[in-house]
Formats: sequence, C-alpha cells, structure tokens
Amino acid sequence: MRTFLILLGKELRAFFLSPVAWVVLALFMVITGQSFSLSIGLLREKPSDFSIVRWTFFPQWFWYYYFFLFPLITMRLFAEEQRQGTLESLLTAPVRAWQVLLAKYGSAVIFYCVLWLPALLYFGLLHWVMRGEVEIPLGALGGSYLILLATGLFHLALGCLASALTRNQIIAAILGYALILLHFLAGTFLMYLSQENPDRMRPVLDQAVTMRHMDYFTLGLIDSRPLAYYVSGAVLILLITHQVLEYRRWKA
Amino acid sequence: MMIDVQNLTKRFAGRTAVNGISFQVQPGEIVGFLGPNGAGKSTTMRMLTGYLPPTSGAAYIKGHDVFHDSLRARREIGFMPENVPLYEDMRVVEYLTFRAALKGVKIREVRSSVDRAMEYCGLGEVRKKMIGTLSKGFRQRVGLADALVHRPRLLILDEPTNGLDPNQIRQVRSLIAQLAGEHTILLSTHILSEVEMSCRRVIIINKGTIRADDTPEALAENLQSSGTVTVELRAGPEEVSEQIQGMAAVRRLAASQLEGGWHRYELRVEPGEEIRLEMAELAQARGWPLRELTQHRATLEDVFVELTQRE
Repeated sequence: MRTFLILLGKELRAFFLSPVAWVVLALFMVITGQSFSLSIGLLREKPSDFSIVRWTFFPQWFWYYYFFLFPLITMRLFAEEQRQGTLESLLTAPVRAWQVLLAKYGSAVIFYCVLWLPALLYFGLLHWVMRGEVEIPLGALGGSYLILLATGLFHLALGCLASALTRNQIIAAILGYALILLHFLAGTFLMYLSQENPDRMRPVLDQAVTMRHMDYFTLGLIDSRPLAYYVSGAVLILLITHQVLEYRRWKA
Repeated sequence: MMIDVQNLTKRFAGRTAVNGISFQVQPGEIVGFLGPNGAGKSTTMRMLTGYLPPTSGAAYIKGHDVFHDSLRARREIGFMPENVPLYEDMRVVEYLTFRAALKGVKIREVRSSVDRAMEYCGLGEVRKKMIGTLSKGFRQRVGLADALVHRPRLLILDEPTNGLDPNQIRQVRSLIAQLAGEHTILLSTHILSEVEMSCRRVIIINKGTIRADDTPEALAENLQSSGTVTVELRAGPEEVSEQIQGMAAVRRLAASQLEGGWHRYELRVEPGEEIRLEMAELAQARGWPLRELTQHRATLEDVFVELTQRE
C-alpha cells in the first residue's frame, strides 16, 4: 500500500506540475462555464423539457469535446515512460507492475474528477445569487456526476491501454481517441438496431449505449446496470493493459 | 553467495541473446562484465534485476530467485540501467527522494539517505536543478546516486562511464573504488583500462556465451598472442633477420624503416620466453647501435580482441 501511495503521489505531482494539465483545466472551465451561461439564457427565454443541469453538462456540442478529454489526460502515462526508458528503472525497483498501473490510472481518475469540480461551484453560485429562488434538481445533478464518473472510469482505462501500446504520445492519443470513439459509435449503431427490432434486442443492446445512459442519468434516473457495465468494462481493460505491460517485457 | 547464475538463457524472436551462461559472484567482489555491443551484457543484467524474464535457467540474488521471488531479489540490488533513464521534469533531490521511498527506505531515514547519496556522488551543487537541464556527467552521477540511495549490498551498473569525458570517467572510477569496500559490484563497460584498474575479476561474454572468467592478469598471461618485443637498431633488415633466424624463441619478425638508418623490429616471441638479454648481447657483438628494447605484456585489450573476434 505504501508503494502504491508513493507512486500515486509521484503521478499526481506529474499531472499538476505540467502545463498541459492546467491548460486542459482552464479550457474545460471555459467550455462548461459557457454551457452554463448559455443554458441560463436559454431557460430564461422559454420553458424547456430539460433541466439546467442537463443543458449545462450535455449541450449539443458535448460529444465534440468530451472524447478529446481522455486522450489528453492519459496519453503521457506509459508512452512517456517507455520513450525515456524510465519504465526500466521503475520496474527494476521493488514494485509490482499492477501497482504502477493502478497508480497511473488512479492519478488520471483523480485529475478527471478535479476537472468536473468547478462546475459544481456554478450551481452553488447560481443558488446564492438567486437567493434560493431557482430550483437546482439535485437528483439530476447527482445522476449526471455519477454517469460522468462511470463513463470516465471506462474511457480513462481505454486511454491507459492505448498509452501502454506505444512509446509515442501522439500515437497514444490518436489510438485512445479511436478506441473511445469506436465504443461510442458501436453503441449508437446498437441504438439504431434496437429501434428496428424493439422487442427482442432492446433489453440487451441498450446496456452498451452511452448516449442513452446519459439521457437517463441526467434526468435523475439512476440505474445500476450501466454503472456495472462501465466499471466492469474498466476492470477488463485494465487487466488487458496489465497484460500488455507484461507482454512487452516477455517479448522485449 | 551474492549472485548465482545457472544456465541462464534468453531468446528473443529468432535470436538467442544469452545462451546458457553460468557464473557466481561472492560478496565483496568487483566483477567487470565485458563484451562487444550486442554480446548479451545488458540482457543478462536486465534478467538479474527482474526486468526481463529468462527463457530458461535461473538466477539468484542472495538466494532469492530473480523470477519467482523477484521483489525480495530486487530489494538487494542497486541498478543503474544503460543510458541512465531519468525523469527529465523532476529536480534531483525530488527524484532521489521518490526513488528512496519507492525502494523501501523508512520515511524517517529518506532524507538522510538522499543527502548521503548526493554527497557521495557530488550532487550538492545541482540538488535543486531539473534533471532535464543537467550535463551528461551529472546525469550519470544522479543514476549512480539512485542506485545506491537505499544502501543495497549489490550494485549492478550497466556502462556507468558511457559517454563521459576522461575527467568524468576518472571521477566515476574513483567513486566506484570508494564503494568497493562495502558493496559487491557487477559492472559492464567498453573501457578496458577501467576494468584493469577497478576490477579484480573479469567475465568476457561474446554472442551470448562466457568466453573467459578470471583475473585480468591471469587472462593476459594465458593469452596465446602474448610476448611482443620491440627493438630499434641502426642495422638493415637483411643482416638482422639473418641473425635472428638462429633464435628459437622468435616466431615472427616484422621490420619497418625509420629516419637516419634506424629500423624498428617487432619480434613475436613464444609465450613465457625472455629474449631481451640475448638480443642486447647480439647487438653488442655485431656492433649495431641499439636505442630501444621493450617487452610488451599482453593487455586486457589483446585478450578481449582475441576472445571476441576469433571466429
């Protein structure tokens, strides 16, 4: 456990001491802040079926930036160690490969969570400015954060895998992006399929459709099945990543 | 026994890098690991440090199997990999603190361990500098400090002087000499004079197999090509070769002309024979002016070339 914490500390420091992280954080605040202020404007003009939470977290352009986030966070993790050769000094110290993997993944998850924290402040501010006259749907807010965390766990694992496969950060980023997009598009395709044969396929196919999960959770409908889907998916991808790291040494 | 290697083999796709080598290293020994590029030195060291798993065979560090009991074996080792990979964006003191903690130094002792390693390697003046901005010599010293920060009994150094200038090589060498007392050291290098100076034992490896394992002096003595005598005389080759034919110990003679009627003769002599006295008497008897008469001992370099280039 001590070894894991030492590794985690080093990874977190690497995140928060790198300019890339702060650029990502700043950009992300601009995007979510913009979404928030636009959704306030939108709701002031006319009533909407969707809550302010929904408009803030999932505007139409959400999918455009959401997927870019993960490769930016994860591309460095293993690719850089392999390029510098530091994976060798790391793995010849008395540490296990899975401790290294979990520390890197853990630091990425923590950074991802930090990215979403400022958005909470927006709602707090709104509540304070309006002196409680605006209703913030807490269920929808909780649901949104839960699904963002769950999909994040899964997508960050995919990014880790991509980074372990290459020593080039750019390739790691593109590969990670491709894997994440592939999963998303497959889900969208399944949604289309299930619309064709609603009765038989829907119960099974719906479990893999990210877009639909987002819809439910942002309404405050919390369903354990997608959570189980993403978490077990993340575990599976991390197991594969561990195998990739070990295999590279066996093959070398 | 500090290191016990038994029939260690490593095969990569279509290529055998290390082919069934066995050797032992006793505590306190300083062993030089020599061989041309691609001979399997780094691969062997990477197997000893648990980075690469062996294809077959076994290796033990203080009795711990490097594959099955890898963590315990790795705790005994301070390893400096080839080309000294370091985190460019960490400060020297930060990096060493991280490494000390990672290698299991107790929290209360981390600071003193890091200070000791930095003092040992002369890193005081760069302690707050980014590793990425350091010169090659300092990087090498950071690597060395990293290898010994947790006071391991065994140091495995893969080309510790690679790419350094002569002054820096001298510094690293004296560092290694200081470490010799309390550590067992296995180091690989290309610089043979360095091995002669700092190692009491040499293992020469070529194409994945061990070709020699002895003290540098014993290796040089046993070498077939030992014994060259250089003579400079003011006498023509015909005359000299005619006289030298009579000496049984001389196997070959090569002559080259120098300025002012002087000639240099290289005499290849049977191992263990002494002909200098005979040569001096001959020159005196014939009235040849003589200005040089030198016996060359075989150097480790001769041994190295002989063992790694023969086939």
